[in-house]
Amino acid sequence: MDQEESRNGDFAHYNDHHVSKKPKLNPLHIEPEIRDEFSHHRPGIARINNGSFGSCPKSVLAAQQNWQLKFLQQPDDFYFNTLRKGILHSRTLIKDLVNADDVDEISLVDNATTAAAIVLQQIGRGFGEGKFNGNDTVVMLHCAFQAVKKSIQAYVTRAGGSVIEVQLPFPLISEEEIIREFKKGLEKGKENGKKVRLAIIDHITSMPCVVIPVSKLVKICREEGVEQVFVDAAHAIGSVKIDVKEIGADFYVSNLHKWFFCPPSVAFLYCRKSNVSPDMHHPVVSHEFGNGLPIESAWIGTRDYSAQLLVPSVMEFVSRFEGGIDGIMTRNHEQVLKMGRMLAESWGTNLGSPPELCAGMIMVGLPSRLRVWSEEDALRLREHLRVHFGVEVPIYYQPPKDDSEGHARDKDGVITGYARISYQVYNALEDYEKFMNAINILVDKKKICKMLMTE
Amino acid sequence: MNGIDHNSITHFPKRPKLSDSFISPTEIQSEFSHHSPSVARINNGSFGCCPKSIISAQKKSRLVIKDLVNADHVDEISIVDNATTAAAIVLQSVSWGFSQGRFEKGDACVMLHYAYGAVKKSVEAYVTRVGGFVIEVQLPFPVSSVDEVVSDVVIPVKELVKICREEGVDQVFVDAAHGIGCIDVDMKEIGADFYTSNLHKWFFCPPSVAFLYCRKANECNDLHHPVVSHEYGNGLAIESAWIGTRDYSAQLVVPQVLEFVNRFEGGIEGIKKRNHEGVVAMGEMLANAWGTHLGSPPEMCASMIMVGLPACLGISCESDTQKLRTRLRDKFSVEVPIYYRPQRDGEVDTITGYARISHQVYNKPDDYYKFRDAINELVNEGFTCALFS
Repeated sequence: MDQEESRNGDFAHYNDHHVSKKPKLNPLHIEPEIRDEFSHHRPGIARINNGSFGSCPKSVLAAQQNWQLKFLQQPDDFYFNTLRKGILHSRTLIKDLVNADDVDEISLVDNATTAAAIVLQQIGRGFGEGKFNGNDTVVMLHCAFQAVKKSIQAYVTRAGGSVIEVQLPFPLISEEEIIREFKKGLEKGKENGKKVRLAIIDHITSMPCVVIPVSKLVKICREEGVEQVFVDAAHAIGSVKIDVKEIGADFYVSNLHKWFFCPPSVAFLYCRKSNVSPDMHHPVVSHEFGNGLPIESAWIGTRDYSAQLLVPSVMEFVSRFEGGIDGIMTRNHEQVLKMGRMLAESWGTNLGSPPELCAGMIMVGLPSRLRVWSEEDALRLREHLRVHFGVEVPIYYQPPKDDSEGHARDKDGVITGYARISYQVYNALEDYEKFMNAINILVDKKKICKMLMTE
Repeated sequence: MNGIDHNSITHFPKRPKLSDSFISPTEIQSEFSHHSPSVARINNGSFGCCPKSIISAQKKSRLVIKDLVNADHVDEISIVDNATTAAAIVLQSVSWGFSQGRFEKGDACVMLHYAYGAVKKSVEAYVTRVGGFVIEVQLPFPVSSVDEVVSDVVIPVKELVKICREEGVDQVFVDAAHGIGCIDVDMKEIGADFYTSNLHKWFFCPPSVAFLYCRKANECNDLHHPVVSHEYGNGLAIESAWIGTRDYSAQLVVPQVLEFVNRFEGGIEGIKKRNHEGVVAMGEMLANAWGTHLGSPPEMCASMIMVGLPACLGISCESDTQKLRTRLRDKFSVEVPIYYRPQRDGEVDTITGYARISHQVYNKPDDYYKFRDAINELVNEGFTCALFS
């Protein structure tokens, strides 16, 4: 194990076990090497919720421990001679991955939640300092992540701004539905001479999970005079190809610990270089205040920065797969579609979106007979699946609209419950069969959500 | 301990009684065996240290902290990353006070001139920016007597807070970053509205964890963690317990740390006492060896002390201190921060550089001899900081 106090910071090689042969990829059955890399996952669980907390292979965890130990061995030396170089290295690799122009546009923060606070704090200052008019608006999707909604409340509503939520239809047939609703939302935001100061657009929504045509929506924002666009792409990196220039947003954030194999937690926040001084600051202010967001974020007081130093190790990990990260993304997408269809066919239900609007996750309709009739029902079902069947999968409740048009139905009624399944390199056919059988058992036993035991 | 010259040390602390119930020196060395072996590590003040047995433990902690600091109620204790984050939380609420018109432009915020650099930046970001007025109180350094101390407003925190109340100060925030394990920390006695201390400096937690105390009597519900997540509005302690997906493990080991601490004779109080005695003894040893003086009388230091460096080293600016520090690290394997104290009008041949040495349970006299000899070598070879440029 490399434990030298290398002043030059040998970033590239933290694995003792370099495997020269790339694992042969037969995605429905896990190769032993991959199984070993994820052997710390609790056995006996069908883990099909990679979206919530992600996953991290052993070799990257080992690299993290190496960094942590390096700090503890001689922290001053680490602080003065190693830390910032390591962060810069990670940032540079991300910049290339997402096609940013300049490494100055890439900051590393804890997670998308933190990035949202940074962007929204800046908007809040605009209202607080009178740069914006009272009632100028912020537009967001109705299905924006709950934590982001709270952040909008904390920084925008509190400072006097108003908020427009755009409802997206679900289930979806095509992206045109998304575009249409979004345009309507923007119009509302501009009513009576108001200005839309910020539009927050998810790249991949959380619940229900759908890939949004962000480039098109950003273009519409520009056409409609929206001042700033923030893309919350928490799931994106490692799920879909990212080209920040093509997407054209002002701010773009994605978590590296969801689909990009980093341990918790690290995200990158891209801020497009512009002529206008962006006034972006990390809310935890330390010595580097005023030196630009990337530098501010690289030191926010003493803490464990090891997760931010791991991008080189992750690049090495993914290069062991055929096609690298692109190959992983393609196969995840193919497999989750395949598994989703298998489930929908077995249950007689539907998929929540067409293939082109999903990445490594997809929404699969649950039999209406289960009667997922509320969010509590969804939570109950989720817990029951975890405790009694060893299946970890988030369940979503889609409230029925007044008119039953556009609703998916199965032979017994309206489909109101969906499971968000995921596929990542550690998954196997057995995981989905386990889930398929669990639901079939519940249906056969005529169970409904309200009667499910959760202990 | 081998190598102790009892002639040159007058007051080295009695070694802890070796009994089965207390941690032995060998065990201590083992707990810190991951420390780089060739470095004389006398800068515990910056990054602290974490014993091996803690590194692998996990458990919930706010109750433990509440008891440790004599707070009334566990709701008063929030766990955050570090004192820097705590400062941002307190200052952000001050900022809202200005933005929302509760405070008037020009209302003031008072801080010590020696406030930590990061905290000063935070004051700039959150107070100056929204029209608050900032006053910096100058403190004398070095100080030689308690009397001078009292008249020059360098007083124990408890008295400072009392004066604040008498003078109608709205809110008092005590930044005790070095706090637990270094100084006495009693919330009720100190009486501040907000108090923060890092647990990873002198309380053996891994990086990083700190607590922010908010007196219940306060309008504490206006404090929010700047990273807003699902728990927004449920009180600072609950907000801080979930600020998005991240590694919270450092926040969970406090009970285990308490166990570690209680393996020492006298627990945390015993450790504090021996650290204090040790650092004073070593400080005096160094000052005698170099013909300099201490930056403050022993009763005004805890487990760190400022020791004057020979004037002939010619420390004449901030960057000299950085370069000297780097030289000590690279050439002599001594890790110690250096502080620059500018010469004042009328002063001649003053000491302009001070080393901030620390003593923690893993230190040995050899660490300080190494430093003593390093400086003596530099002096003997006629080194001055002028050589740096």
